[in-house]
Amino acid sequence: MATMGNPRDYLILTNNPLVHRCMEGQGLYTIRLEEDKSFREILVEARDMVYAGHTLYTHPLAGSVKPNETPYKSLIVSMVPHGFDAQYGELMANALAVFDKFKPIVRELPDRVLRDFQLIDYTLLAGAIGFDAEAGLRRVQEAEGR
Amino acid sequence: MKLELGYIQIKDIQFSKECKVENGTLYVDPDAVKAFMYEDDDVKAWVKDFSFDIAKPGESVRITPVKDVIEPRVKVEGPGGVFPGVINKVETVGSGKTHVLRGMAVVTAGKIVGFQEGIIDMSGPGADYTPFSKLNNLVVVAEPAEGYQDHKHEYEHAVRIAGLRAATYIGEIGRNVTPDETAEFETLGIKEGIEKYPNLPRVAYVHMLQSQGLLHDTYVYGVDAKRSLTTIINPTETMDGAIISGNCVSACDKNTTYHHQNNPVVANLFAAHGKTLNYVCNIITNENVYLADKQRSSDWTSKLCRLLDLDGALVSQEGFGNPDTDLIMNCKKIELQGVKTVIITDEYAGQDGKSQSLADADPLADAVVTGGNANEVIILPKMDKVIGTLDYVDVIAGGHAGSLRPDGTIEAELQVITGATNEMGFNRLSAR
Repeated sequence: MATMGNPRDYLILTNNPLVHRCMEGQGLYTIRLEEDKSFREILVEARDMVYAGHTLYTHPLAGSVKPNETPYKSLIVSMVPHGFDAQYGELMANALAVFDKFKPIVRELPDRVLRDFQLIDYTLLAGAIGFDAEAGLRRVQEAEGR
Repeated sequence: MKLELGYIQIKDIQFSKECKVENGTLYVDPDAVKAFMYEDDDVKAWVKDFSFDIAKPGESVRITPVKDVIEPRVKVEGPGGVFPGVINKVETVGSGKTHVLRGMAVVTAGKIVGFQEGIIDMSGPGADYTPFSKLNNLVVVAEPAEGYQDHKHEYEHAVRIAGLRAATYIGEIGRNVTPDETAEFETLGIKEGIEKYPNLPRVAYVHMLQSQGLLHDTYVYGVDAKRSLTTIINPTETMDGAIISGNCVSACDKNTTYHHQNNPVVANLFAAHGKTLNYVCNIITNENVYLADKQRSSDWTSKLCRLLDLDGALVSQEGFGNPDTDLIMNCKKIELQGVKTVIITDEYAGQDGKSQSLADADPLADAVVTGGNANEVIILPKMDKVIGTLDYVDVIAGGHAGSLRPDGTIEAELQVITGATNEMGFNRLSAR
């Protein structure tokens, strides 16, 4: 629907390099890319910020790809705290409880699969804030000479 | 609005140079279907080739990865055409007469992303978990054009359109066939309904549509549901393909286009309409990722329930995690308007079934119908024939490394099976 808050207040927490490649410098938001963090660690970081009063802008469990399958997670919290909201706190706590109930899967994912998991995570985030995901991909492909 | 469905029972499908229905057998020319699919420029641009196959109930056949399942239909009287805003022009459907090729489906399959899922087994234990094992399936396997890896949005769109075009072409074959059976469905205007059924409770169906992004979308008259506010639709419009699926992840609880055409909530509400309740309308709402959208859409849903003076609402969701929040928000806000709700969902309760089933909950959600536990583990035997590819079985949702065993059997969660835990209740799993 793209009726948004103030994008200047968006802090995108992500471990997905595709989000950074496609969206960095394309809007007023800030991207914090932490590639060494796991899906769960991104959730924990967001939860702690929400507990400290940051607003949660996107749902922590976006997408039907299950949290034990994809390694990637992107979500948006506010740049600065606006006061604790129990509803957001509950969403984050529930998201971690959901993550922990899935049986961990140990496997080596081929690059093509990792790229597709990145793509889905990126399009869910882009769709949430009305960012043109296809245009972002085209820009990156052109820049990389593909 | 009144619609008559004429059911033409299809008991067999045969490839032929001639397209016709004779004595319950559909004869279809795959080259003609292919030519009709390729009349679309996007299909031309992104699909290198299609191969066709037929899968019948009881055969040792596995179809995977499944993208969509579609029932061929054709409008024979009344305004508009099937799949309005996508295949036919945008014109309100849901009245007049429509012919249905019942007992069969078009199944689209083929790779789009590397973790795709969706298994339909035509026999064995897996067949019991999918309603599509009971149909004669015309399977269309799409092969992407070169360079599709960098254009997955376009390719997904092309395969979606191709499947709808195939179903439209086949539906047309039934235009001049006399149906084996007919049924009428009618909902009334608000005042008319109150006057006709003054003592029956007014009930609507709140139909939540998956609307999160690539491979997670639903279209209403061609409009991406995430870009719409909550609105009202006549249930008969959905029988003419007003809602189509652009969703191809979470095989067990995705609503295929077939589910939208044959929505069991709609069917059951019609069966009770005028007897135990007054079926008012469907309210369609979305499941967006942005939290303010959820707030707005669920506010709107509850406002409409109040405006329509409902006594009760059935709410169904599609998907896992994020939609659980919309489901609970809808339920809670509708209940607070004084309207009783029943929610329909499935469960991710862990492999042992002991974990909390949904990602969200509320004490007002005290009437729940479940479609089963998607985490339940199942072993699928080897099949003699695979339509599509087994390349993804180790990485699909519910699968794991080693899911595909050396002997050809598959160990995975129910998640992998198309329609296994459908959240409209279009299957047989539940709990009491």
